[in-house]
Amino acid sequence: MSTLTTEDRAGRLPAEPPGRGRGRGRSRWGRWLTGWAFVLPAVALFLLMGVYTIGTGLALSLAKWNGLTPEWIWVGFQNYLDLLYADPVLAPELRRAAWNTLQVMVAVPALTVAISLPLAVALNSVRRLRGLLRSVYFLPYVTTGIAVYYAWRYVLEPDGAINVLLGSVGLGSLSQPQGFLGNPDTALPTLIVVLVWSSVPVATLLYLSGLQAIDPNVIEAAHIDGASPRQVLRRIVWPLLTPLTAAIVLLGVRDALHGFQIFLIMTNGGPGGHTDVLGLQVYRLSFMKELAQTLGMASALGWMLFAGALLLTLVNARLLRRIR
Amino acid sequence: MIGSRIVKTVARTALVAYALISLYPFLWMLSGAFKTREEILRSGNLIPDAPTLDTLLTTWSRLHFFDYFLNSLQVTGLTVAGVLVVYSLASYAFAVLDFPGRKALFWFFVSLLFVPGITVLLPVVILEKNLGILGSHLGLVLPFVNGTAPLTVLLLTNGFSGIPRELREAARADGAREFRIFWSVYLPLARPTLITVAVLTAVPTWNEYVLTRVSLNDPSLYTLPLGLETLLSGNVPHYNEVMAASLIIVIPVIALFLLLQRYFVNGLVGAVKG
Repeated sequence: MSTLTTEDRAGRLPAEPPGRGRGRGRSRWGRWLTGWAFVLPAVALFLLMGVYTIGTGLALSLAKWNGLTPEWIWVGFQNYLDLLYADPVLAPELRRAAWNTLQVMVAVPALTVAISLPLAVALNSVRRLRGLLRSVYFLPYVTTGIAVYYAWRYVLEPDGAINVLLGSVGLGSLSQPQGFLGNPDTALPTLIVVLVWSSVPVATLLYLSGLQAIDPNVIEAAHIDGASPRQVLRRIVWPLLTPLTAAIVLLGVRDALHGFQIFLIMTNGGPGGHTDVLGLQVYRLSFMKELAQTLGMASALGWMLFAGALLLTLVNARLLRRIR
Repeated sequence: MIGSRIVKTVARTALVAYALISLYPFLWMLSGAFKTREEILRSGNLIPDAPTLDTLLTTWSRLHFFDYFLNSLQVTGLTVAGVLVVYSLASYAFAVLDFPGRKALFWFFVSLLFVPGITVLLPVVILEKNLGILGSHLGLVLPFVNGTAPLTVLLLTNGFSGIPRELREAARADGAREFRIFWSVYLPLARPTLITVAVLTAVPTWNEYVLTRVSLNDPSLYTLPLGLETLLSGNVPHYNEVMAASLIIVIPVIALFLLLQRYFVNGLVGAVKG
């Protein structure tokens, strides 16, 4: 969550070595051993779960394997090339998934900011019910998962609540007889709406905390100088919230790159690949190809997603520094 | 004057409208869980014509959701316990102890934040197959604990660093050993951070679906999300039971959230803003 500000955190680690043991005359080695003993469980767990997995993942991305045969067939960077352009079946599929991912990556953060900022400003302006509303807004975040996605599937069914609602308010022409997830044209936009619905809570919460941290005197002074509320919002509030906006956008972009749970659960990429995304492709190449030798490609694609996220984070940090 | 009143009305209307949007799927989840199989096919009313508890009871007992609930409780409980033990020790060392590699190790754990879950999902499964723990609850708990490392280390190291050093020196002067200082001075004082870490671990673990899906084969070990999935994978899904099962999943999480709300809020704001 906190990739943006990790460098600020360096300051939180005490820069000076903590004071030497007084009175008890502990040796330097003693202190070192104590330190290592405290981090041992975490390091051991990482050596077990982390080193092997990262190592295997990297190595596997250079090989062909179906998960059963004893031998890996080393192919160098062929997996990466296959994914990018060489494989006549997979590469186009992947391009489509990349295009869908890109749409999610742009639409979800943009809509999230567009909804949660006004919502936070409105929430900050009321006193009564603020606590209650904040709790209600937060529910989609804590419940994120299969249960809520199934509830959405239920209301999005062909004879589900949303179609009925549209019909009853005279917007029957907008209803989807095949269901919103069954129609190739509406499936992806519908998933984007659900994703925005799940990401608004955290964004609103962050904006609210940001708004509450703004010195009221600054706003007051601007009002006295004759600034209209809209000018205050545009010239003072928005710039002060920029770091938060950057964090929200970054979180959204990373979720779009890595997240595929909602796609797996609600459409599994359908209808006809219209909601296929890159994360889902990795999942399928990893677990759904039976005996085909796709595990190496799954790994290669996974590392490409890792590189993509890293790159985006660096770009974001650079931009943010320039703004500051 | 009139202008500001209009603005206020608009703001309030928007707030209420969004509250309804937020609640929308939950309302239908609640509604569906109290309908019979016939009614869920027949009627699209939000308020059930003849509300019944049978659907929830059937789901809870005959469809084994009680068992799934216990499994989920076990996996989530062990994960939270593991996270608290392993990373409070490590974070204490990062925050207050002095040893070579302290900074490098801290940064290393934090930088794991960049490794996406999907990238290591397959290697984790391969590893667990080799270790013979694939398909067991232990096989879920270990990667879950390891996966929380970056965020947890960040939050806990921050929490421990905020505790005044004089307390440690005083305990030291009284002859307390390092572990005793950690246990009796630092842990109690860091309680809010520990609770934050616990809830931020518990909720995603409770809802986890992907690793659980590709790991577990034995239905007697299924957690709630997998149990829910089996209801919809049949030929004719009974949405009333699906919604009842969904309700069983979300109610504990919502209760936890309402009880410990400020820890969620502090944790998330703290994690992003540093």
